[in-house]
This record gives sequence, structure tokens and C-alpha cells, in this order.
Amino acid sequence: MSQHDDRTRHTRRPGLTRRQLLQGMGAASTLPLLGGIAPFAIANGSAGRVVVIGGGFGGATAAKYLKRANPAIEVTLVEPAEVFYTCPFSNLFLGGLRDMRSIAHGYDELRDRYGVRVVHSLAEDVDPDGHRVHLANGETLAYDRLVLSPGIDFRWNGLEGYDEAAAELAPHAWKAGAQSELLRRQLEAMDDGGTFVMVAPENPYRCPPGPYERASLVAHYFSQHKPNSKVLILDAKDSFSKQGLFTAGWERLYGDRIEWVGLSDDGRVTRVDAENLEVETEFGTRHRADVLNVIPPQKAGFIAERAGVTDDSGWVPVKPATFESERVRDVYVVGDATVAAPMPKSGFCANNQAKVVAAAIAAELSGRSAPEPYWTNTCYSLIGPEYGISVAGVYRVQEGVIAEVEGAGGLSPADAPDHIRALEAEYAVGWYNAICQDTWGTSV
Amino acid sequence: MILSWRRASTLSIVLLLGGLASTAQAENEFSREQLEVMAGGCASCHGTDGRLAGAVPAIAGRPASLLESRMLAFKADEVEDTTVMNRIAKGFSDEELAALARHFAENPGPQGDVP
Repeated sequence: MSQHDDRTRHTRRPGLTRRQLLQGMGAASTLPLLGGIAPFAIANGSAGRVVVIGGGFGGATAAKYLKRANPAIEVTLVEPAEVFYTCPFSNLFLGGLRDMRSIAHGYDELRDRYGVRVVHSLAEDVDPDGHRVHLANGETLAYDRLVLSPGIDFRWNGLEGYDEAAAELAPHAWKAGAQSELLRRQLEAMDDGGTFVMVAPENPYRCPPGPYERASLVAHYFSQHKPNSKVLILDAKDSFSKQGLFTAGWERLYGDRIEWVGLSDDGRVTRVDAENLEVETEFGTRHRADVLNVIPPQKAGFIAERAGVTDDSGWVPVKPATFESERVRDVYVVGDATVAAPMPKSGFCANNQAKVVAAAIAAELSGRSAPEPYWTNTCYSLIGPEYGISVAGVYRVQEGVIAEVEGAGGLSPADAPDHIRALEAEYAVGWYNAICQDTWGTSV
Repeated sequence: MILSWRRASTLSIVLLLGGLASTAQAENEFSREQLEVMAGGCASCHGTDGRLAGAVPAIAGRPASLLESRMLAFKADEVEDTTVMNRIAKGFSDEELAALARHFAENPGPQGDVP
């Protein structure tokens, strides 16, 4: 029996509900409770067991910050991949400005420095009543608190004709990794004079400015290597994140290389024919692509559904102050899967939400109340390698809901001079290095 | 209004004591846990504990007075060529910025040197 199993034997029985536990405490009320430490922790020096599912910006940060808050908390991180490729900066890879290695991160520091148990397996099911997680490798993990950072899944066939097989022909590249490499190979193989068609989704979806940064950096690649090629964005909405800044930057750097067609101009794609690299819009216009990138409609990652925390929208409603699920007790959810507007679905927000969750769980496991939440977001987008723009926000809970602090945040100025755009491009790289250091700590 | 010397000095002592009291209160206003959460967003660009030096500078281990005056200047749009810190600093009260300044001043700097 492993050390881990040995420890779990002495901890709270997973089937015990909080009510039963409290009743038990009542019966044993003559026992001294040291500093409000929960009774299940006293037996073995553990401050409680937390399982974190998902090793992206939210999950890896939650695991690290739980250990920072209290090293006596047993933290297990479940993530199938040994190497995690970030969506942020994957557009730089697509634009030929970075290699995949530079957006790859591992789990050595979480394991070796912070003492997180990292299990590379897929979490297949959650039993919220029994407080257990079932893994694809056959292991069952018992938890006192569960953190889900499930990211997104795609609604296959939510857009007619776009399923997993179609994604092998017309990649989404909206989860970084093999899909990014496929799309890059297609861009490299495309003849000059071709058209890169991107199908952009309606809200909400992961990384609101992401499609437009991608269009920018593909245009950059074309301007360097395939000067007669075009970028066409077919959009299911009429406006998008940082639109004015993107449009001005496109004109400035790429002239008319990038064309954007919004919903009102028949931009909404309703059918994809991946084999023929053709899409059809709402009013029957057909567009033929040389490289076709479909960013499909999305929902919370599937383990969120298994845990019962999603609502009819397919996303996860959470209690604003702690990001505990509104539906399932002792389950906390962070990142793109959550309904956290006005916070966007960004890696930065996932990282910040995870810190709030880690602090809330650490406090709760030692019988203290959670600190007040503070969240910040900054989303940088690169229009060119030396042309950066950003949107920022500071968020608090006000009158019971997540609210953007008035007077703070906002966009880069519309009239900023070139050296400010260049500075923002530099800071974008600084941000990427910092958030990856803060989340994983190691590059591979 | 004309104040006697005596009244004026009493008033200034009261003001001074009031000032001291509010400073002391500010220092104790936020628990360590609370500060960690308040500072959570800083680490996303400045590295864990504000210690990563690079295009975005490290903020750990710098004098609290310097950090505080810098953040207040960002907040007031008084720093030339600011990109994002003016937008962020406006999301925090002056007391929060002062507390964050003390928090990062106490962290070891990028090379682990304590100021």
C-alpha cells in the first residue's frame, strides 16, 4: 500500500456528509478542537485532501497556491498530459514567431518544490456524494474539496458538419498542441495567393480577442512569406473584443490583407464542408478556403458535466466570492468553464480565480473564513511582433455579484504612438513569462 | 479664523495622532491571507511574490515608500509612457496600494536579497 493510501485510511470517510460530520462533532464535543482544525485533519497531521482536476492556468495555479497557503494540505493534481501547451502565445507559433517548445510547460516544480502529487491520467467521473474522483488509470481519489479547472470542450456538430473528423481537415487549434501544429503545417503548405478563412464563434467562448490576434499573426506570416495571400474572418457576431484597436492595427500593418465580415453582413457560418474546405453562411453565401480554421461553439470541459456543476448553458455557475459551485457542495470551479462575466475567459483570469479558490479552501479547511476576493485581468494581443494592445480589468464582489471596479481597467489608448505599441508587445512577452512562471514554474 | 498658539498646537497634535492612528490601522487592516489574495493579480505579470525580473520588472524587495509613490503616480496618470499600470492601479484604494507596497517590500528581491 502506498503512503498516500495509508494516509487516506485515517481521514474522513468519503461517504460522510457535512451534516453527519457536524453531528459527530456534537457527540464528541468534549474533545478539544485545536484552533478550529477540522476533526478529520487531527488524526494524521493532514490539513485535508484537495483534488485538482486540470493542469492548465487554473488548475496548476490552484495546486501551487494551496500548497503555499498550507503545505499540510494534501494536494493531488490530475492532468492527462505531461506537457501542457498554452493557448496564449500559440498564435505566435502559428505566425512563425515561436516554436512549440517555447509554449510548453511541465509539472516538475509543482511536484518537486511544492509537494503536489501529480497524476497523469484522465479524470473520468466524479461522485460528489461520495467525495470521490475516478480516474482512467483505475485509481479512485477521495477528497474533502475538489477543484475543477476543466477548460472547454467543443460542441461537435453544434455547427453543422464540424465534428472531430472535420477538425483533422479544418483544424480549430483552440486547444494548443497537435491542432496548432496541424494548422501551422497547412499554412506553410499553402500556395501564395491563397485565402485563410477563419470561422469565429459567437459569445461566450475561450479567449475573446484570440481569433483576431490569430488573424493578425497569420497576416504577418503572409506579409513575410506569401505576400499575395489573404485572411477572411467570418464572424457570428457584430462586434468583438478590442475591435477598434484591431481594425486600426490591421490597416496600419496589413492594409486590406485582412477582411472581417460580421453577423449583419452575412458573416455567420451555418455549415462546414471540411473535405472541400468550404463553408456556407446563414444566407447561403459559400466561401472556399485554402486553409480553413473553424473555431467551434464551446462549453465547459466534460468533467464539469460529470460532476453535475454545469447548467443548461453548458457552463458552470459559481458563487462569486469563492467560486464554489452553485450546485454541488465542496466542488470549486475556475477558468474558462465558469460563468464569471464580466471577467473574460482568459488564462489570466483562471490564474487569479485559482488563487482566490486556494485561499478560500485553505481558510475553510482550518475553520477560518475566506479572505475577500480580488481579481485582475490583462489580455495582451499582438497585432504584429512589435505592435501590442491590451485590455485590463480589476474585479471585486459588489452587492453579491462579480463587478468590474469602476474607473479602472479598459483598453490601450486608440491614439497611442508606435513606441507604446512596441512597449506593449514587450510587456506581452514579460506577462507570458511571468504567468507561466507563476502557474507551472518550469518550462520544458 | 485665528487660532491661539496653544489651540493650534493642540489641534496639530490631534491631527498628528489621528494620522499615526490611521497609519497603524492601515498596517493592521489586512491579514496576511488577505494580502496574498489582494496581491494575486500582481504575480500574474511580475512573477510569484513579485520576484521575476524581465521586461516587466520585479517588484519584490523594493522600498515600500518607492512602490507606494509609484503606484499612486500610476493611479493619478502621472507616469509617462504607462501602458497598463494606470488602468490596474485605479482598481485599488490608496490604502490597498499602501498595503500592497509594504507586502512586496517585505518579500525577498529577485536574487533573494532582503533590503
